[in-house]
Amino acid sequence: MKVKCYIQGMAAISPQATFEGDVFSAPLVHTDSNLLTCMEPDYKPFIPANSLRRMTRLLKMGLTTALQSIRDSGVEAIGPIVTGTGKGSLQDTEKFIREIEQYKETALNPTPFIQSTYNSVNGLIALQVKGTAYNNTFVHRGFSFENALLDSMMLLAEGAPNTLTGALEEMTAEHFYIKSRIGFWKSTPTDSRQLYVQQSPGSIAGEGATFFVLTGTPTAHSKAALTGFKMLYKPTEAKVAAGLAEFKENVDLVLTGRNGDSRYEHFYRQVDTLFPGVPQLPFKHLCGEHDTAGAFGMWLAAQILHTQQVPAQWFPMLEALPANINRILLYNHFYGEQHTMIVLERV
Amino acid sequence: MAERVFITGMGMITAIGDNVAENLGQLRQQRSGLGFTSYIDTIYQQVLPVAEVKHNNDALFALAGITSHEGYTRTTLLGLTAMREALRQAGITDVQTAPTGFINASTVGGMCDTEKVYFDIVDPTKSGTFLQYIDTLDCADCTQRIADTVGFTEHIATISTACSSSANALMFGARMIKQGFMPRMVCGGTEALTRFTLNGFNSLKNVDKQFCRPFDQQRTGLNLGEGAAYLVLESESFAKANNSRILAEFTGYCNANEAFHPTSPSPDGDGAYEAMKAALAMSGRTLEEVDYINVHGTATLNNDVSEGKALERLFGNNVPLFSSTKPFTGHTLAAAGAIEAIYAVLAIQQGLIFPNLNFKEKMEELNISPVTELMEGVSVNNVISNSFGFGGNNASLVISKYEG
Repeated sequence: MKVKCYIQGMAAISPQATFEGDVFSAPLVHTDSNLLTCMEPDYKPFIPANSLRRMTRLLKMGLTTALQSIRDSGVEAIGPIVTGTGKGSLQDTEKFIREIEQYKETALNPTPFIQSTYNSVNGLIALQVKGTAYNNTFVHRGFSFENALLDSMMLLAEGAPNTLTGALEEMTAEHFYIKSRIGFWKSTPTDSRQLYVQQSPGSIAGEGATFFVLTGTPTAHSKAALTGFKMLYKPTEAKVAAGLAEFKENVDLVLTGRNGDSRYEHFYRQVDTLFPGVPQLPFKHLCGEHDTAGAFGMWLAAQILHTQQVPAQWFPMLEALPANINRILLYNHFYGEQHTMIVLERV
Repeated sequence: MAERVFITGMGMITAIGDNVAENLGQLRQQRSGLGFTSYIDTIYQQVLPVAEVKHNNDALFALAGITSHEGYTRTTLLGLTAMREALRQAGITDVQTAPTGFINASTVGGMCDTEKVYFDIVDPTKSGTFLQYIDTLDCADCTQRIADTVGFTEHIATISTACSSSANALMFGARMIKQGFMPRMVCGGTEALTRFTLNGFNSLKNVDKQFCRPFDQQRTGLNLGEGAAYLVLESESFAKANNSRILAEFTGYCNANEAFHPTSPSPDGDGAYEAMKAALAMSGRTLEEVDYINVHGTATLNNDVSEGKALERLFGNNVPLFSSTKPFTGHTLAAAGAIEAIYAVLAIQQGLIFPNLNFKEKMEELNISPVTELMEGVSVNNVISNSFGFGGNNASLVISKYEG
C-alpha cells in the first residue's frame, strides 16, 4: 500500500523499562515463567486520583501511554484517536462473567461491563484530551494495531492534522491459563533470554501499551517516517516471500517478530533467505507474544532510527550493525495468521 | 477526485426475518420481533424482552450452509447467513474474482457460546469438546471464520466501538475504496444475544421490561436484539465495469466523539449533531433534501433526549420524518448500523417510511415526534442513519438514491 506518515511522539509501557528513563542503560528484564509482565509506572502524574481508583490495569496503562506520547510529540490539539486491541480489558471481562455467576445476575456493578467494552480506553482518552474528532477501535488479533495504523494513514491523507494511534493488551493469569490449553505457550518454563534457541511449539506471553502521534508531514521533531506497509492474511510461504521482496531495497536492519514457536518459524526463515547479510534483531524476548506486539516492534524501530543506537543490553546477540541505520523493515506475524510488514525510515 | 461508493448487495438476518425480503415484509406489516428468549440461560427469561432470531444453532448451521460444526459460534452463524445473501445479491459467486476486503464488527465476539462453558474452560480438572470454543471469545474469531468460509483473503479487519461498530465498518470500507486500496468491500456486523450483554445493560438500568418505546415520554430503556447484516460496497469505476446492479449510493458519513461521558450522551446531543452535520456536508445534500432519518432511538432516557435535541438543533422547525426501527429488531449493538443501513436502502427503493412502534406520548423535552404508521409511496432520496455508542462514539451515514 502506498502510504507515508511521520512519528512525532511515542511512548510505551512494556515489560522493559521503556516508559521512563534511558532505554540504553536499562537492563534486560527476563523471566522463566513464560509470561513477561509490564513494568508499570506511577499513574498519579497522569490520571486524577478519583478516576484512577475505578480504572482497571489496561485502562490505566492505555490512557497513561497515550498521554505520554502526546507530551512527547509536543502536539497541542490531538485529532483522531485510533487504537487496536486484540482482547481489550480482560480483567473486566473476567470479573463481569464471574460476578454474573456469583451474584446470580442480580445487583451487578456495571463498571466491569463498561470497562470491558473494547473501545473504553478510546473513550477515556477522548474524555481526558477533549478529543472530539474521529475515534475508532480495531479488535483483530495480529491485525488490531496495524488496522489502526492504516486507518490513521487514511485519516492523514484525508486531511487530519495528526492522529493518536496506539495499541494495548494485557495478560491475566486466567487468560494465560486459557490460552495454555490450546498451545499458545511453551509447555515447559523457558528463560526468555533463550527464546530463540529453544525452538518448540508455543511462545511466551506478553503485554503492553504503545502509542504514537502521527502526522502527514515531517517536522524538526519527527522521529521516523513510515514508508511501507503490508498486511497479509493467512498467506502461503510464497506470498510472504513475495511481500518481503517488495521491501528489499536498501534495508539496513530487519526487526522480526520471531518468538521461538517452531510451528511458524518457517515464515521468519524467509527473511534469512531474502535478506542475506542484512542484520536482524528479534524483539519478542522483550515484550512477549501478544496480539499487538507489532506496536512494540514499531516503537523499537523508531527508537533505533531516531537515536541511531541499539539498546545493547537488550540484545546480547547483537551483531555488527551498519554505521548508519536509515531503513528498518519490521516483519511480524501472530501465530501464522496475520502477517504484517512495516518499513520505517530515518528522517 | 475520490471515487463514488455504491451499494451493490445486501444480506441480513434479524428477529424479523432470515433475509432482506422477510425483513421488508415484517416492516411493512408492522410486526415486531420482540419476545422472550429461547436460547439464553438467564433469570430474566420471562422478564426482559429481547428480539431473538427464531432459530436454534442447529437450524442456523443449515441457513449458514455449514456442515462442520466445530467451534462455530452463533455470532459466526448469523454473520455467515447474512454474508451469503449479500454476496448472492451482488452476484458474487467467487469473492476472488476481484480484490475484495471484509470489514466486520462485533461487540463481544463469541461470548454467546463461550459464556456457557467459561467455567469449564478455566477449570483444569475439566476437559472436553468445549475446548473448541476457547479461541472464539475474541471479536476476530467470527470475522476469520466468515472470511475463511466464503474465501476472503484480501484485507480483513474487525471493529468494535460498541453500538456504532458496524456503521464504522461501513465507513472504513468506503474510505478504503475512495483511497484506491480496494475496488470492492463487504462491510457490516454480527451480534448474538448473550447473558453477558443482557446483564451488562440491565446493570446500567437501561433495559425496558416492556417492549421498547423510542421517543416516547414514558420510555424506560432498550430491548436487546441479535442479528447480522452486510453490505457490498463498490467503487463507481468497478461497479460500472462489472455491470453491477446499483442499489443506492453511500454519499456521506462521519464519526465524531463527544468526549462527554463513558456511557451517556451529552444532554444537547453535541456528538449526534456534529456527526449528522458533517455526514450531510460530505454527501453534498442540503438539510431540505433529507427525506427520512432512521434514528439511533434506543429508547433509553438519555439517548432519545440527546438525539432529539440534536435533530432540532440541526433541522430547526423542519425536522424530517424520522423513526427508530429498534422496536422491530431490538438493539442489535454491533449489527445495528448495518441492519439500519439496509433499512435505509429499502426505504429509498420501496418509497417507504417505517413506523416507530410503541409510540404514544410526545417527550416533554422535544417538539418533535416520530412517524408512527407505515407511510407508502413516499419519495425517499436521502436517508440519514444514526448509530451512537459507549465511549462517546457517534456515527452518522447518509445513503442516497442512485441517480446515475
